[in-house]
Amino acid sequence: MEDIKAYIESGILELYVLGDVSPEEKLQVEAMASSHPAIKAELDEIESSMESYAEEMAIEPPQQLRDKILNSIVLSFADDNNFPTKNKPVEKDNVISMPVPKANNFYKYAFAACLALLILSVAALINIRNQLNDANTQLVALSTSNQHYSKTVNYMDRQLNVYRDPSFKVIKLQGTPKHSTASMLVAFSPTKKEVMIDMADLQLPENDLAHQYQLWALVGGKPVSLGVFDKSTADTAEMKKMQSIALAQAFAVTLEPKGGSVNPTMDQMMVIGTF
Amino acid sequence: MLKNTCLKSDISFLSSPPLTRKTKISLTEEELVHALRNREKIAIEALYDMYSASLFGVISRIIVDTAAAEDVLQETFVKIWHSFSSYSTEKGRLFTWMVNIARNLAIDKIRSKDYKNQNKNQELENNVTFIDEQRNTVYKPELLGIKDLVLTLKPEQKSILELVYFKGYTHVEAADELGIPLGTIKTRLRMAIQELRKHFN
Repeated sequence: MEDIKAYIESGILELYVLGDVSPEEKLQVEAMASSHPAIKAELDEIESSMESYAEEMAIEPPQQLRDKILNSIVLSFADDNNFPTKNKPVEKDNVISMPVPKANNFYKYAFAACLALLILSVAALINIRNQLNDANTQLVALSTSNQHYSKTVNYMDRQLNVYRDPSFKVIKLQGTPKHSTASMLVAFSPTKKEVMIDMADLQLPENDLAHQYQLWALVGGKPVSLGVFDKSTADTAEMKKMQSIALAQAFAVTLEPKGGSVNPTMDQMMVIGTF
Repeated sequence: MLKNTCLKSDISFLSSPPLTRKTKISLTEEELVHALRNREKIAIEALYDMYSASLFGVISRIIVDTAAAEDVLQETFVKIWHSFSSYSTEKGRLFTWMVNIARNLAIDKIRSKDYKNQNKNQELENNVTFIDEQRNTVYKPELLGIKDLVLTLKPEQKSILELVYFKGYTHVEAADELGIPLGTIKTRLRMAIQELRKHFN
């Protein structure tokens, strides 16, 4: 009992109430208080008197502070975390977390590569298409010129054949005194009854659109029309086949109105040649 | 009370009948502790009505600045509310636990950098009285409704109680401050509280 009295009188209980004890002393006081009712009673006395002391010196805080403080606490009522665990929703749920796929850059790069390849391919395609167009154009040009050459060769064969054929007689028609520079070649085959004129060797002035040259054959002193032809600037290297005739003593060419005349206009005679 | 609350939604169901506060809620300590454990809103209101003045009295004696003292009172109630689970009745009275929280928060406040910096910006001409205020407990008239109590305590008992209770001095620091042996400090503190006990009984 002496011990307890001494303990009470040491002043440790007062310090305990004033919060001026170390954590060890605090535990010690609490242990002593729980095992010795006298100490517990003494502590209670001290606490009550300090409480009364504080009440005695109380200062009423401003009325609006009550609202402010209680509101700040009431605010936290809205937060479920402030309630004891019994109010908390059950944590367990049936959400199964899926394995997080590893960040993979492969598809990103593959996509970029595909895109680049696509652009290259399109560029190459356009390039090749242009080349194809060029080739086609060239092909058309070549086949055209090829046709042209084969035509030329055919014609030249024919032309050559005219000259090779022994039945053909080639007559050179000379210019009349008015047109001394004019001349042309006429090939005549009495057996085949064919008359051809050599357009390449046609030495005649150009005719206008209203006039044409007309070839005449003199048969027994009478002129027989063998058809009309033009002298154009474009050189047509061709043998032109005229109307057929079996017999002729001479050939002459006159300048006639377009389409030809029934009788030759004698003063417009350009060339004449006798068999 | 809630009419100026910024909460618009569901909080209204929590509010008790319109608070035209003239009657203060009062519960026995036992009921209060039980209600606080259950996190009932009525409990924190009762707690405020029953103890805010006592706690504010303590805080106001530690912190001279009224605004800062009000801040600390708010912090005190928030802390009481949030850490109530650490209180148990075996350890002593509820008020002892709360006043320790309030005192510690208040002392932390006046020792905090902010508070000190704030006080450094005082006008020079106020400094003489300011320093006085810092060194001594100020007795504003409204704090002094206890003349007979003051008369009860001898000056040396009072000064020790002031230092430990209101200034947050440990008894060791108080002994240094007053130039008194440690044993004497404890004895005087005990005597002071004995006087209070006599006074209140």
